[in-house]
Amino acid sequence: MITCDEFFAEFADYLENQVSPEVRQELELHLSQCRVCHVLYDSSRKTIKIVSESNSFELPQKVFDPIIDRVMSKLRTERS
Amino acid sequence: MSFPGDIRREQEFDPLAVFREGFGFVPNLVRAQTALPRVMAAHAKLEEAVTFRDGAISRIHKERILLSIAADRRDNYCLALDSGLLSSLGVPEVQIDDLLNAFPRANLLPPDLALLEFCLKLSRNASSVRYQDIEALRANGFRDEAILEAVVVTALALYRCTLSAALAPEPDFRPPNLPPKKNQVASDASLRTAPSDIRPNVGQKGPYLPAPYLSPNSFTPLAVVQKSHGFIPNFFRAQTLRPDLLQAELEAVGAILLPEDFLTRVQKESILLTVSVANLNSYCVAIHCNLLRGLGLSAEEADQIAVDHHLSHLSKADIALLDFAVKLGTRFSEFSREDAAGLQNLGFGQEQILESIVVTALNNFSNTLQMGLGIEPDFAPPSVLEKNKLNLSGPQPTLMARGGPVQVFETLQDVDSELVAQAQSGNLQAFEELVRRHTQLIYRALIAILRDSADAQDALQDTLLSAFKHIGGFQGRSKFSTWLVSIARNAALQRLRGRRNMESLDQNDSQEDHDFRPRQIAAWQENPEQNHSKSEIRQLVERGLLQLPAKYRIIVMLRDIEQLSTDDVAHQLGLTVPAVKTRLLRGRLMLREWLAPHLTTSARGAAQ
Repeated sequence: MITCDEFFAEFADYLENQVSPEVRQELELHLSQCRVCHVLYDSSRKTIKIVSESNSFELPQKVFDPIIDRVMSKLRTERS
Repeated sequence: MSFPGDIRREQEFDPLAVFREGFGFVPNLVRAQTALPRVMAAHAKLEEAVTFRDGAISRIHKERILLSIAADRRDNYCLALDSGLLSSLGVPEVQIDDLLNAFPRANLLPPDLALLEFCLKLSRNASSVRYQDIEALRANGFRDEAILEAVVVTALALYRCTLSAALAPEPDFRPPNLPPKKNQVASDASLRTAPSDIRPNVGQKGPYLPAPYLSPNSFTPLAVVQKSHGFIPNFFRAQTLRPDLLQAELEAVGAILLPEDFLTRVQKESILLTVSVANLNSYCVAIHCNLLRGLGLSAEEADQIAVDHHLSHLSKADIALLDFAVKLGTRFSEFSREDAAGLQNLGFGQEQILESIVVTALNNFSNTLQMGLGIEPDFAPPSVLEKNKLNLSGPQPTLMARGGPVQVFETLQDVDSELVAQAQSGNLQAFEELVRRHTQLIYRALIAILRDSADAQDALQDTLLSAFKHIGGFQGRSKFSTWLVSIARNAALQRLRGRRNMESLDQNDSQEDHDFRPRQIAAWQENPEQNHSKSEIRQLVERGLLQLPAKYRIIVMLRDIEQLSTDDVAHQLGLTVPAVKTRLLRGRLMLREWLAPHLTTSARGAAQ
């Protein structure tokens, strides 16, 4: 079985689903037997999901509408 | 970036001895490379592992492949060499003549014939090779190791033929007489065109052969490439079935490409990029574009070299160097001594010209290998490589339409291009529509740098005004959204400069090389987000993002929140894909540490 170091070397690609079937098999075998790597993988996947679905730093329309309006009216004035 | 281990070993390695042992003499093709001993050593490594070492197919099989390809390309030097060698291996003259004339008549067993046909097809028109071809070889009783070896031998034949076209050495043996040229004989163009083979790939896309996992820890050559590239390209991973061949290739690649005593790495990567473009090899185009960016070229400049190097910012001499390599790599029969003389007149030295020839040969080796093994891309090819912009001759529409093992130049039409054209001609409504599409992206790019909502809103206004002012200069070399992000980053950085205690975006990479191993190793809740309100989670994530180092923050935000592809993020920030991958992982792991105390099974209650 591969070591935790070897697992970690492939970790970025594994999270991105970018490993070959052979590598995947090795990694999953390791995951099934190593608690620490399993926690790392599980919590990292959850982190990505939570961050992706958090809508962080979404600018509400009521904030950006006036900004765009201001810019557009400035551009229209410059034109005429 | 270096291969120190190899350089040390190189001193004990005698390339000429390798050839004396393998061939019984040193071929003139090798002697023609004496001006640059390290490329001669690289050639010796390849021949030693591929041709001379006992492998899954016999030496006679290999020589037959080499001879048939040399005859097919009407390479007089190589066919004299290979027929002389076959003869010295005891193959009767009559069989050699058969091979030279038209191999189907040669007295070969059906599996041997099938193997030869496969190799010829790969050498003539690599992009027509399909998974079915591999299956057919298996049905003929060839093991995967043998198939891999045959692909590498074919690649080596093209390496040799490219060298011989440029170096034109005196034949080592009297050249046999070739029959008059027939239609089926390969012309330059047939290497790139697929007259009839438009079969889709059935069964398996790629890679065609299994590649057992090989750990960089136990196989040092992979660790070296992982260090120099930031990752292990699929190109190398796909060959782990034969670590011996892989090791020789990695050593040859290191000896040819890494030293900068004559040509620079940028010059060499540019050769690999432009010749791969001409060979329609999108895998190699993508990887060399990325490596060029890693060498400090902007994404736009690297893409421009791929699209049409004549319009890039390269010097006149470098453009001529690339023209030379493309001609040698793809139109070898037109190639003559005058081409090299032309480079000499532009100030290139003998060693530099030799090196450019060897790099071109290496490129044809890699292009052939990649297509023969159906190696899947590491990255998407540059989005600017739309077919109408490609500087290629030949019937590309057929190639484009074909669902081959390698998608030839993914056509990524920017969804914004129509509105951009209208906005460029002064249509304000079109401009408004465009910026509305991308407001969130711009705002997130801004707050990732400024970390303050009011500041980011002011910068949003600056960005929009600046975008309108400069939209006439947008040339469509990148996606419009990529261009907008670069305007936003400039606007944000300008504001930052006005602040005290500016947070550096360009901290040295070495500073971050401390261990990113997890400290929090308690298990997380099954559905942690369900135990908190959406706004609690959002606040927690936002605070976590704000405390990340800037260079991780922007990447996590673009990749995980804006959901851009890694390749797009790399383009937008002018980074290499491996650099983005590294920073993304670190950013994610830091966020994980930040979130853990709130989300483990022992954590309870609100996200505070």
